[in-house]
Amino acid sequence: MSRPTLIRLIVIVAILIVWEGVRQLNLVGPLLLASPTEIAAALAKSWPQFFAAFQITLLEIVAALVIAFALGVGAGLIAGATPFNSLVSGPLLASLFAVPLITWYPLFMVWFGIGIASKIAYGVVSGFFPIAINTMNGIRNVDQQYLVYSRAIGCSRAQTMARIVFPLALPSIIAGLRIGVALVIIGVIVAEMLGSLGGIGYLITSYRNLYEIGAVYLGILLSLLCALFANLALSALERRFTHWREMQMAL
Amino acid sequence: MTKPTVIETRKLTKTYNADAAPVTALADISFAAEEGSFVSLVGPSGCGKSTLLQILAGLIASSSGDVLVDGVPVRKPMPDKIAVIFQDATLLPWKTVIQNVTFPLEIQKVPERERHERAQAMLVLVGLADFAARHPHELSGGMRQRVSIARGLAQNPRIILMDEPFGALDEQTRLKMGNKLLRIWTKTNKTIFLITHSLTEALFLSDVVLVMSQRPGRIIDVIKTGLPRPRTYDMIGSAEFGEARNRIWHLIGGDERVTAESTGL
Repeated sequence: MSRPTLIRLIVIVAILIVWEGVRQLNLVGPLLLASPTEIAAALAKSWPQFFAAFQITLLEIVAALVIAFALGVGAGLIAGATPFNSLVSGPLLASLFAVPLITWYPLFMVWFGIGIASKIAYGVVSGFFPIAINTMNGIRNVDQQYLVYSRAIGCSRAQTMARIVFPLALPSIIAGLRIGVALVIIGVIVAEMLGSLGGIGYLITSYRNLYEIGAVYLGILLSLLCALFANLALSALERRFTHWREMQMAL
Repeated sequence: MTKPTVIETRKLTKTYNADAAPVTALADISFAAEEGSFVSLVGPSGCGKSTLLQILAGLIASSSGDVLVDGVPVRKPMPDKIAVIFQDATLLPWKTVIQNVTFPLEIQKVPERERHERAQAMLVLVGLADFAARHPHELSGGMRQRVSIARGLAQNPRIILMDEPFGALDEQTRLKMGNKLLRIWTKTNKTIFLITHSLTEALFLSDVVLVMSQRPGRIIDVIKTGLPRPRTYDMIGSAEFGEARNRIWHLIGGDERVTAESTGL
């Protein structure tokens, strides 16, 4: 085991001990904080329910991510393709990104129903803007010399885009995906909390209504787990495609 | 016996339509370069050197007049006839050195084996065969520019156009790179057309130096350097060299925008 991993583990164990201690000594009331053992008890009691909810939420997140990636990158590519396009869409995307989306959620429920479709749709909209904006900026910021070079060696427009511009913009696109992933996860879980029939967010809200704080914390931990998975997947993607960028930066 | 002409321009002009009055960037540019020659173009900054190079490369259209490569008019980029080397090496950072060199050949649909052989041979020529599997960020600025030269050569063009290829390098590296370029050029017998703002570089490398005026750019003198080859650094200090440099300096001098730096040393 490497040194940083070991230190991380020690930190986690220390936090758990202090956390448990705070509750055992009743320094903080049972409605504010659930101790690790209380969370474990909630898991032992209702794990089938949480497992089912976790699957729903994960499905919603993955579906929303895939759609948000495709739409966001696609829109960003179109918006960044010409100076005119970005002149038109840049301010539009930026101002739409600034709209508090949550105010729209009641409408999403009207449009897509109370099931998973509205959660996916809301997740997509949450993640779309940062991905589209970063993709557009990444493409706009590609050094003009590369475009001239690309024409000089006889690349078609499609070849220029696919073989030169897109890879050069990839670090910026992935930075957008990072923000997008976080917002999609938040979007999906918040949507579940506001009105739904299943999922982690739904359980968090219903257990909160029952004052079962251990189960609420279990739900929070599971949403954390979703975020963790998504970030790990993204890091793998980043290492695979943009390792050259990091090496360049290091010089 | 005269050598065949590789590139030729006939009464080339370029006019930009600005808001009120049209701006003439280039006026009546006519010159020819024979096969295997090394031609440089010098002139004050803003005189339209880069515009001319882009027209020669088929990247932008002239307003009137023709560019001919092997007698064929240039209307669009012709990567099998013309290679362009820029001030920035414009290497693709995610590709290895050899992948960078083969890339233009891939675009031209050269068969895989052949493009690999050509790339390998050119990397040997520029002295970077050992670096074929490295990535651009692992190389120095001068090495990256050599990769870019190998990449241009691998296209097996009739002419190589170079736009301030060593402009981003320090003076010492710059002259060394020039010397390396001369050795590569001797082995390939390609025609080179080089744009530079360094009079020393132009005279040290070239057979012929074209001197361009301020805007509207026109060619005001064609200087045959007449220096023996192989060139040595000592020649830079010779009386002949100094005379030639002074002559160009006066031709484009008298203009306050010509800085001391642009005279080279």
